[in-house]
Amino acid sequence: MDIILVGMNHKTAPLEIREKLSISCDDDTATVETIKTNSHINEVLYLSTCNRVEVLAHVTKTAAAEVYLKNIVFSHGNLSPEEMARCLYIYHNDDAVRHLFRVASSLDSMVMGEPQILGQVKDAYRRSVEREATGVILNKLIHHAFRVAKRVRTETAIANNAVSVSSTAVELAKKIFGDLRGKRALVIGAGEMAELAAKHLIGNGIPKVIFTNRTYERALKMANDLHGDTVSFDLLEEALSDVDIIISSTGAPGYIIDEAMIAAALRRRKNRLLFIIDIAVPRDVDPVLGKADNVYLYNIDNLQSVVDDNMKNRINEAEKAETIIDAEMLEFSRWLKRLQVVPTVVDLRSKVENIVKGEMVRAGSWMKNLDDDERENVEILVNSIINKILHDPVTGLKEESENGAANPYVAVIKKLFKLD
Amino acid sequence: MGSLFFKIALGLYFLSMLGYITSLVVRKVQVAKVSTWILFSAFAVHTASIIFRWVETGHSPVTNLYESLSFIAWAVSGSYLIFQVKTKTRILGAFVSPVVLVMAITASARLMEDTPIPSILMSSWVPVHVLLTLTGSALFALACLSGIMYLVQDDLIRNKKAYGFSRLLPSLRELDRINNICLVAGFILITLGIIAGSIWARNVWGSHWQWDPKQIATLISWILYALLLHQRLAIGWKGRKAALLSIIAFVILLFTFVGVNIFFVTVHNFI
Repeated sequence: MDIILVGMNHKTAPLEIREKLSISCDDDTATVETIKTNSHINEVLYLSTCNRVEVLAHVTKTAAAEVYLKNIVFSHGNLSPEEMARCLYIYHNDDAVRHLFRVASSLDSMVMGEPQILGQVKDAYRRSVEREATGVILNKLIHHAFRVAKRVRTETAIANNAVSVSSTAVELAKKIFGDLRGKRALVIGAGEMAELAAKHLIGNGIPKVIFTNRTYERALKMANDLHGDTVSFDLLEEALSDVDIIISSTGAPGYIIDEAMIAAALRRRKNRLLFIIDIAVPRDVDPVLGKADNVYLYNIDNLQSVVDDNMKNRINEAEKAETIIDAEMLEFSRWLKRLQVVPTVVDLRSKVENIVKGEMVRAGSWMKNLDDDERENVEILVNSIINKILHDPVTGLKEESENGAANPYVAVIKKLFKLD
Repeated sequence: MGSLFFKIALGLYFLSMLGYITSLVVRKVQVAKVSTWILFSAFAVHTASIIFRWVETGHSPVTNLYESLSFIAWAVSGSYLIFQVKTKTRILGAFVSPVVLVMAITASARLMEDTPIPSILMSSWVPVHVLLTLTGSALFALACLSGIMYLVQDDLIRNKKAYGFSRLLPSLRELDRINNICLVAGFILITLGIIAGSIWARNVWGSHWQWDPKQIATLISWILYALLLHQRLAIGWKGRKAALLSIIAFVILLFTFVGVNIFFVTVHNFI
């Protein structure tokens, strides 16, 4: 009776191997169905994302189940055993629990602290539940993992602060403008980074982005893709006075936005704040503007250094998260150990309760002289006596089980109370 | 009773300041929320103490420097609490609560002494004049605090240090808005307060305006604030310049409030 976890992730397996595995991403439920049929496996969770494959199972025969689960992963990826041996990791019991907690809390993710993985674990769990592939132990374990993930999220700053250039740009815009709804953004030039930043802005409440480009057709295409507006490149100067956020990424050799243009725009816009993101190399915006009042200028290096600092911060927070996870792992392992004595406790209780029931029936002949209240009081009295008597041995048994020393006591209780 | 309530309020102000500062250190919104509730109860108890004082002494509770300080502390925390409800900028509390506490502690030194009141203060214009100017000053104090926070946040963003501490500060736009509202409201109250004062002055000194050092200093700060408002409303000043001027104007106002009495001979020698 063990919990085992077989898996591979972006750290252990190179992209080509993960690619082969993720082909089978879609038929997750079928995999669960297959694994469930194996007689050594009681409960199973199968998680497969682009960056990882994890099979978590509660098994009866550990060695046999391990071989079976490895084979499942092998056959899915169509991989040679040599390839697999390099990439696969296998964890047992406490280690498996810790690994699951780390995965759910996004400590094991490629971008540490990213929130998607928790959703993916939840989906995988839902699929397992639908196939009735989970039971007492995995249900408890996975719910515990959700709780750990929530604790890590609220008690550490691991998910705070943006760690991509475009989300950093959005975060900065919020620091300047607060709410982005009703703000206007202008994207000058094309390019993947500009498009990504524009998408992020739209996702954060900017109603419409205006695009401009020396080649008007390209601006038009981006505007169509992102439901934005366009403005002719010749009218750039006028456009500056109407917008609050400017993202510039043209291939121009010199500055396309200079001090005089911005000074004029600021006058027209009555000094409303202006946030300029210059992600072009060479730069599009005269760096002197970084010192202008009510103008905030960030270039690609500035954004990148914010990202780097945020990433460092996440790594520090991860240490706090590991402490939380260790403590939670211990708690789960205590529960698991207590679980071993549960059948004995249940047997003991039901035996005593049966005795009480039998005696109550026998006493029925004289108890019928009592009225309802009195009869009820007798029952309450008897039950409270047996509860008091059972309390100490049951607690003792649970305590011993947490130390892993319950077996002799279980044997004695079974023998003395004739529980078999 | 007034004295007891004031002491309780003082303790609560202290607790709320500790809470706000803790919330800065541990970076938990929850702690700041609790601190806001403590500040609210401090404000309520303080209100009670002022009312009791009014009833116990039978005259308006703003007839000397200590009473006025206590009143300003009350007005500052009250105005802040209103902003708190409107804008959810709890972090401002970490700036406001120490200021309130320092004023309240200074006030506590001689607050409850029963000094005889000069007869010229017995006019019913006095409480009107004092309450208006002091509430106006409290709003200017908030404008100054939000201006300081604006400069800090502006500096952090400009120098690409927009992580860590900057996360705790409200956005620039929000701070500028608070600054603007406080200036407009404060200016209206101060102006009305000065008018009330001049009516009273005519009653006791015979003319509306005496060219007294206190009056001249008041006029200078009033002109500065008028200028600042003009730049804001007509010219469209925003952000850093406006924040800076609102800080300078408040320093001069502070001098008007306490400095004049120390360095000059003035007929306005009660506060």
